[in-house]
Amino acid sequence: MRKPALLSRPLALAVVIAAVASLFGAPARAQQPICSAWLIESSRFMNVPFGSFMPDRAFVPGSTKPESNIPTVDLPVNIGVIKCGSELILYDTGWKQQDYLKMTGSDHWAPLPDQLKVLGFNAADVTKVVIGHAHWDHAGQLSDLPNAVLYVQREELKAIEWALNYPEPHIRAVNSDPGGCNRTPACGYMPLTVEEVYGKVLKGKAVIVDGEMEILPGVRIHPAFRAHTAGSQLLEVPTSIGKLVFGSDAFSSYEGIRDWMTANVQQTDTVQQFLAYEKCYKITGGYNNCVAAHEPLSYTDKYPLTKNSWVALNGGRMAELTLAPGEKSRKP
Amino acid sequence: MLLLAGVFAALAATAGAAWLHEVRPRPVLQPVAETVSARAEKAPLPALTADEERFATALWAVHREATRLAVAMSFAGITYQTEDRDVHAFARKIEPMAKFFQDAGIQVRAMSAPPSLSTTRDQYVNAMTLYANAAVEILKFTEDGNSQRLSEAHRMDVLASEDMLRVGEVLWPGQYKPH
Repeated sequence: MRKPALLSRPLALAVVIAAVASLFGAPARAQQPICSAWLIESSRFMNVPFGSFMPDRAFVPGSTKPESNIPTVDLPVNIGVIKCGSELILYDTGWKQQDYLKMTGSDHWAPLPDQLKVLGFNAADVTKVVIGHAHWDHAGQLSDLPNAVLYVQREELKAIEWALNYPEPHIRAVNSDPGGCNRTPACGYMPLTVEEVYGKVLKGKAVIVDGEMEILPGVRIHPAFRAHTAGSQLLEVPTSIGKLVFGSDAFSSYEGIRDWMTANVQQTDTVQQFLAYEKCYKITGGYNNCVAAHEPLSYTDKYPLTKNSWVALNGGRMAELTLAPGEKSRKP
Repeated sequence: MLLLAGVFAALAATAGAAWLHEVRPRPVLQPVAETVSARAEKAPLPALTADEERFATALWAVHREATRLAVAMSFAGITYQTEDRDVHAFARKIEPMAKFFQDAGIQVRAMSAPPSLSTTRDQYVNAMTLYANAAVEILKFTEDGNSQRLSEAHRMDVLASEDMLRVGEVLWPGQYKPH
């Protein structure tokens, strides 16, 4: 009589293990962090002709139509700050060198470590940086985030190298004519910016991403190739107000996403840009949780996600987008 | 009675909220008008003189290729680290860059710059020297495998690019547009 009992013991053990695993495993799998998110204005491009940013909003002198009676706009350069548990993630990093300011007609720049301090964070606590693309106004200041691992698409790097070596001077990754990077389509990768990326690679703190990647449970990179540059990428973030999707310049304009208008055309296939918009609609269920990089209405009621805002360093603005349960407000 | 109590409670809450709104300190908040006036106070950049323009145009011919090769040097490093790990291919990419930056330093030093831009020219020569030295350091790495050399080369590249950027600020304002 003892024999069957002995034989059944491993089976019983297996059943118990399976039962325990089913009790704890399923919740563990489903356990996604609810993240908090803020927006930092790294700087602001001043007096940009609206039509050069969004062709559908080109200024028509004498027009009284709201879509064509605004000559210029100020474009913020937005950085996403995302806290998921103990992880602190940045989406884009603005630009570093103040010397650019005079060349671009920009204003309100402040160092990213100082801006993070306003929110109560240390630059050294940033664990991950996802750059929407590697243009100079989105991938600077990486060296000020010593512990952060950089996520950049291989497609982006390949395209920069291609444009760098292309013989026709109007298609260059950097300064192509006496106007400099004067909105020639492949341009925008300055020596200092690429050196920032290389610095991360050299220190073994870069992940070259091929397409989609989950960098934390529920925090997911989505490729948006040619939605702005060849290797643009979006970032999906779970929050208490639903999913957010940060889009960098694939989502240059909130109004563009809302009203289906193309914006900030560079290496852009406008169909791919619309597909990136669609991705945000599908992931978030609408357009209100799509986080735009250069929306002129940022930090106002007209871009509701960003309306909980204030003015911080050097006139730059910040917004508290959403808080995870238990996370205290960082708005002064 | 209940209705009256409700109205009273609502009034008290409104008064309380208004009082809190008035007395709460708001140290970092600034009115938007301040930002606008700060913009208006900025002085426009002075225009270059004819001599300065001539120098800027002559230097641009060097600068256009220098910026491209500075980025290419970083890319050679990125490719080496992330793709092929082939030191010979790395060296082959860097060798012409070392020569370009060395020659560019000599060429710019020989350019006649108006006195107002002599410091700017020196700064550019310094940038070319730093890039050339960085390239030499990378070439040494491809021979001895000492990875510290790559860090040192990167440090010099960053300094060179900062110099080049400051020259650009003087000579080619408007070089970069919103991207």
